[in-house]
Amino acid sequence: MSRPAPSPIYTLRGAGGPLNTLHFSCHGKDTPLLFSGSGKGVIHIWNLNSRRAEKIVEGHSGSSVIWVSTLQSTDALISQGRDMQVCLWDLREGRSEVVDTVWTGSVGFSQCSLLETSHGNYLLAFAGQQTEEVRHGYIKIIELPSKTPVCTLVPDTKLGMVMCIRLWQPDFGAGPLLLAGYEDGSLLLWDVTQRSKLSHAKAHPEPVMCLTFDTKRLRGISGSSEKKLSSWKVDRQNNLQLQDCVKLVNPGVSQLCIRDDSKLLASAGWDHRVRLFGWKKLRPLAVLQYHTDMVQSVAFSDHQDPRQRLLAAGSKDQRISLWSIYNEGADTG
Amino acid sequence: MAQISDPKIAFAYLRPACVLLTREPSATNVETLSGQLKDVNDATLQQLQEYVLFPLRFVLKVPGPKKDKLVQAVAEAISHVLENTCVQSWETLHDLLSELCLCLCSPTDPGKPADLSEELKLAVLRCLDALIHAAYGDIVFRLFEPIMLPGLGAAISLLLALGEKEKSRDIQAAALKCLQALTLQCDCTQEHVVPSSEERRAIGSTMASFLPGITLAVARIITGDLRQGHAVTVRAIKVWSRAVGLVMEDAQLQASEPWKTPSPDLGRIAQLVIHRTQDWVKSTAGKLSVLLKKIVSCTSAHQHWRVRLEMVELADHLLARCSKSLGECVGLLLEALVGAVNDEEPRVKERCEVALREVSWRNQSHSSSGDITSERSSTQNFTDVLSENLHSLATSLPRLMRTSDDQKKLFVLNGFLGYLKLLGPLVSVVLNSAAHLERISKALMQVLELDVMDVCIVEERSYRSTIETSSASPDSYTAHTQRKHFLYFTDEKILAVLMEICRTLGYYGNIYLLTDHFLDLYRQSSAYRKQAAMVLNEVVRGAAGNVVASESHGLEGEGCGRSATKEDLKAAVVSVMEEYTSLNNWHLITVSEETDRDRQDQQLLSPPRLLSISSCDVSTVNENSLQVISSSFGSLSPSSSTSTIHQLNSNIWQLCIQLEGIACFSQALGRDFRPLLMTSLYPVLEKAGEETLLVSQAALGSMWDISKACGYLSLKELINDNSDYLLNDISINLQRLSEHPQAPRVLTVMLTHSDCSLLPLVGDIVQDVLMALDLSYDHTAALFCSVLHALMKALARWFPSSCNRTRESAGPKQTSTDQEVLNIREFLLDYRKQKELAEGIGIEDDNTEDLEVPPPTECEDVEDIGGPDVKAELPSHLSITKDVMERCIHLLSNPSLRLRLRVLDVLELCVCILSEKENELLPMAHRCWPALLQRLTADDPLAVLRAFRVLCTLGETCGDFLRRRVSKEVLPKLSASLARQAPISAKAGPVYTHTVAYKLQLAVLQGLGSLCQWLDLGEADLDAVCEACLPYLSCRQPIRLQEACLSVFRHLIQVDPDALWFTLNELHCPSSYIPPHPDLQPVRLNGMGRPRDEYSDNVLKLLREESGSGVATVNQPVS
Repeated sequence: MSRPAPSPIYTLRGAGGPLNTLHFSCHGKDTPLLFSGSGKGVIHIWNLNSRRAEKIVEGHSGSSVIWVSTLQSTDALISQGRDMQVCLWDLREGRSEVVDTVWTGSVGFSQCSLLETSHGNYLLAFAGQQTEEVRHGYIKIIELPSKTPVCTLVPDTKLGMVMCIRLWQPDFGAGPLLLAGYEDGSLLLWDVTQRSKLSHAKAHPEPVMCLTFDTKRLRGISGSSEKKLSSWKVDRQNNLQLQDCVKLVNPGVSQLCIRDDSKLLASAGWDHRVRLFGWKKLRPLAVLQYHTDMVQSVAFSDHQDPRQRLLAAGSKDQRISLWSIYNEGADTG
Repeated sequence: MAQISDPKIAFAYLRPACVLLTREPSATNVETLSGQLKDVNDATLQQLQEYVLFPLRFVLKVPGPKKDKLVQAVAEAISHVLENTCVQSWETLHDLLSELCLCLCSPTDPGKPADLSEELKLAVLRCLDALIHAAYGDIVFRLFEPIMLPGLGAAISLLLALGEKEKSRDIQAAALKCLQALTLQCDCTQEHVVPSSEERRAIGSTMASFLPGITLAVARIITGDLRQGHAVTVRAIKVWSRAVGLVMEDAQLQASEPWKTPSPDLGRIAQLVIHRTQDWVKSTAGKLSVLLKKIVSCTSAHQHWRVRLEMVELADHLLARCSKSLGECVGLLLEALVGAVNDEEPRVKERCEVALREVSWRNQSHSSSGDITSERSSTQNFTDVLSENLHSLATSLPRLMRTSDDQKKLFVLNGFLGYLKLLGPLVSVVLNSAAHLERISKALMQVLELDVMDVCIVEERSYRSTIETSSASPDSYTAHTQRKHFLYFTDEKILAVLMEICRTLGYYGNIYLLTDHFLDLYRQSSAYRKQAAMVLNEVVRGAAGNVVASESHGLEGEGCGRSATKEDLKAAVVSVMEEYTSLNNWHLITVSEETDRDRQDQQLLSPPRLLSISSCDVSTVNENSLQVISSSFGSLSPSSSTSTIHQLNSNIWQLCIQLEGIACFSQALGRDFRPLLMTSLYPVLEKAGEETLLVSQAALGSMWDISKACGYLSLKELINDNSDYLLNDISINLQRLSEHPQAPRVLTVMLTHSDCSLLPLVGDIVQDVLMALDLSYDHTAALFCSVLHALMKALARWFPSSCNRTRESAGPKQTSTDQEVLNIREFLLDYRKQKELAEGIGIEDDNTEDLEVPPPTECEDVEDIGGPDVKAELPSHLSITKDVMERCIHLLSNPSLRLRLRVLDVLELCVCILSEKENELLPMAHRCWPALLQRLTADDPLAVLRAFRVLCTLGETCGDFLRRRVSKEVLPKLSASLARQAPISAKAGPVYTHTVAYKLQLAVLQGLGSLCQWLDLGEADLDAVCEACLPYLSCRQPIRLQEACLSVFRHLIQVDPDALWFTLNELHCPSSYIPPHPDLQPVRLNGMGRPRDEYSDNVLKLLREESGSGVATVNQPVS
């Protein structure tokens, strides 16, 4: 039975620019927070209890912030801007200062990917600098906080710019793996330690706009500027296998996000809508309509109590909408 | 004169008079003696006391009837002696007592007072009083020896008889006072003998014999005639309480009384002696409780406060001394005390509070030393008695509320409150008993039932009140609030007490228990809903403690305080508020279906905007959302068409109470309420935009309370600081308009109360509004139009534009042109130059001049734009206005007249705001012209009226941009209609001024003049206007039309004075113009020499005004 269309439980406004990226931090005992990065280079830290911006930091000299995340162990904020910088922020005790920066040299839209290897140590993957001669992008991986370079991954064929990256640590096998989507619609699986390409799949005819990967089921999904999402699987031999596609009503997906419990997939559509799918069978569940412009980011919150979980959507219309959806039966399955 | 201090001299001085008196007992002799007595000082008099008293007593002892006068004189003399000396000998005391009693009683029956003059009785009573006061401590107690019983008894019964039967209040009071003195319980200012405990017991024991008599008789006095004056009643209560307190004193009875067998020489007197055994105490207490009940019922609601005060004293006195022996009466006494705790007389109240504090202190100190079982049981007893009383009172409360009058109700409720206060923290224990809570809540539910039959509540509307009152002070809201009418009482004081009862419950009770219970009642039945909400409001207020604490700090000072912590309170408030603002309890119908506006809302609800969960199955979702709405509305009124006024009223009151509740909660939580604004402010604003006056006023009042409680200085600050929360809800609800039709109203209220700092935030909401409007013009236009109107009004207020400025500056400009002296020579020179120009002479020179003109305007543009190549972004208020105006163009042709009128208003405001940017205004004016023209020429007169106003505003702001259109498309029609109407209005009677046609005429005439001036119309058009207006100069036209027409001409005169001068003179010319030189042609004007007619007055008036500037100066230079 279909129910009346849901509405957001609340919206956050006042970001003052299109919202490129969202990141929740709700696992702690303190107030749940939502970080947002705007097209005007401002990072807002929203207090989800008072529903107001608790702190506003500007650090990318007005350039668009395309990615924000937190380092869980050190409680630091990391942000990537189109000023070709990745900044590490110290936010403890009311401070808001940049403690370190990494120069990426990339003006593209590709978001970084972060992986905690051991306590306090991270791997950061980002799309590398573009030069006149190397038109196709390469991926650089460095260690944090030491900033020592780990490797550079360059594809042997011309695939165009790197569009999206996902770094992950498989349960078996030695080193971390990396999934990357390229401008020509290809997906590549890289072995970071071996610095070698493991598999290649042509998922889309258009550039891969976004991808997300479920490390438990070893299954991922990617979106493009066309009217479909394509899902794929990484098998035991680390081969990428394309699986079924999901047709969309309108073309264009900015971001995809799978909920922690691997049950729900959310897509941020260029058609101003957020779509929800059952992750298992990719069954369409709901269309969330509120925004009046492209939705550019979706994120599920990391609340410890599954009933409190939220979905956030950030849009070009400068608003963030928060939804409480499919939470009722969360604990029973 | 100095008093005689030497005993010998005094003796010699007094002796003759004494001797004379003994020999010849007459009044004059007595008076001589008493006169002389006053010359002797007290110490000397003491020595001569026996001697002086002898002749006086002798007079009394002489057998046979005596004159009243004589006895009175003697009594006065004795009084004087006794008042100034002491009685040291028992014989004197005893004898005098019996002699004086004999004077009073009738000779035949010693128990009854004799039929004597009142003065005499008073004198003797005074004398008796003096005697007892004068008696020495060592002899006075002999009065209470068993042997004295008969004599004492006679005196007491005599005094009682005087107190009861006498007509004079003075005598009654004096007799009772005497009685009090006789039992050594006097409370006057003189010094008194203080009996030791042993002596007290002796007195008590003796008085026990007389207790029945005294208590019965005095109770009769107390409960007797209501008109006997409070002094007697007060005295009687005093006697009663002292007598009982003396005989039944716990301290005496506890120390086991040694039983002395009466000595045999007493004889029959021994039968009179009473031994205060347990049984005796018990039976006496039983009898006393009967009397006490009568006394309490008779005095506790007595009109005079002194009586009530004395009752409090009685209760306090007896509770302090005899709470054990009078076990049965404790409940009664407490009831009496408790009933007075909220007495309107502060002295009674204060005394009562002190008494109650002592009681509860005694109670608690007993319980703290609870190792003695009897003590504990007494405490237990005390609490039991209280809760028992409370329960029985609660049980009978509904009945009492229905049957008794207001005064009685007030008393009962005061008692109820008193019990709660007395129980203090124990209230929560009592409430834990389901039976108690049930009783109390049911009683409150019934008592607080509202009378919802008042019709005018529903009728009152407030379409514009929010705007008008936006600047008013908070007090004006409280002043406006409608009084609640209750079914079972009318007195405001009763409501106050009821509310305090609720607060006290909240203060001492368990807040969770109470809110849960009353919320249950609230949900249970709509019959209880309003009462339960009222109770909840006050319970929360009480739980916050700021109301109760200030009043009864003493009562709970020792005990543990209130039970609710801030966190508890917050949790309770959240749950109550959730219930209040839930869909079913908040979106109540307050407007009857018949009203136009509501039908529109209803219409709006029926085809809800389509919002689908997935893009495919639209229809099913649509159905579903429909169901949601109908069910939500259905639950509150089964079928909305049958909702009667009764129901509407009830809904209105419920909303008001709930709004008050939210204000209450904010006051209870103070600044801690701020986070709750997230959920509560929106609903309140929703109601502030309601049409029902009462509701919107309640909401506004509540907004003020909230802003004060949360520490905001004004409504503006409240709204601005929380605009993100509000806009969040508005924006979400705008998308679900079918379920939340109130969202635009909230925006309206916000705009009304806020300032331009809100604009950046509102900006995108406005886009939402416009988009929602675009998506469904048919259904939502009416609703949104009010928002747009509010928005434009707010923008016009926040950005006062040039439109208003030019209106102001119109005045001075006018005068400057008037004062400008027209020089005919310059005029002619200028004329020649123009003519040459037209013929082509000197074009080269002027070309350069012409070229010089444009640059300045270009410069201005450059400044405005700010950048050389980028077109500057329009200020947001202007871009919003443009967007709104765009919609207005579409809405102008809406089929609903009401809506069209509203849109015209909005349009006018838009024009005003846009007037500061001509570049933006002119294209918009161009675009909306066709639609506006339709309104001006082919619409309902009402619409024409408004449209004309818009046209005037447009003319004012756009100026000559519109000239051609107006002259071509509008003026002909207007002039035609003016001309057509002129003969009608000239003939019409006084009723005509109430018609639309008249209003239209008036409006057109009022606006036409300035319009012509602004548009800078050409000659032909001016002529046409002139032509059309001339008929209105007639004095047969309604006076206001004449005035308006005069204003048209005044404006026209400014545009073209000469032409008008000519036109007017053609009509009527007051003077003949003789040419200054015979060569010139004589002036011929049509109006010359005409007799006075209907136009003369107005024409003359205009010419006179003009001649001040124009006519005179034209003639001058010629000569």
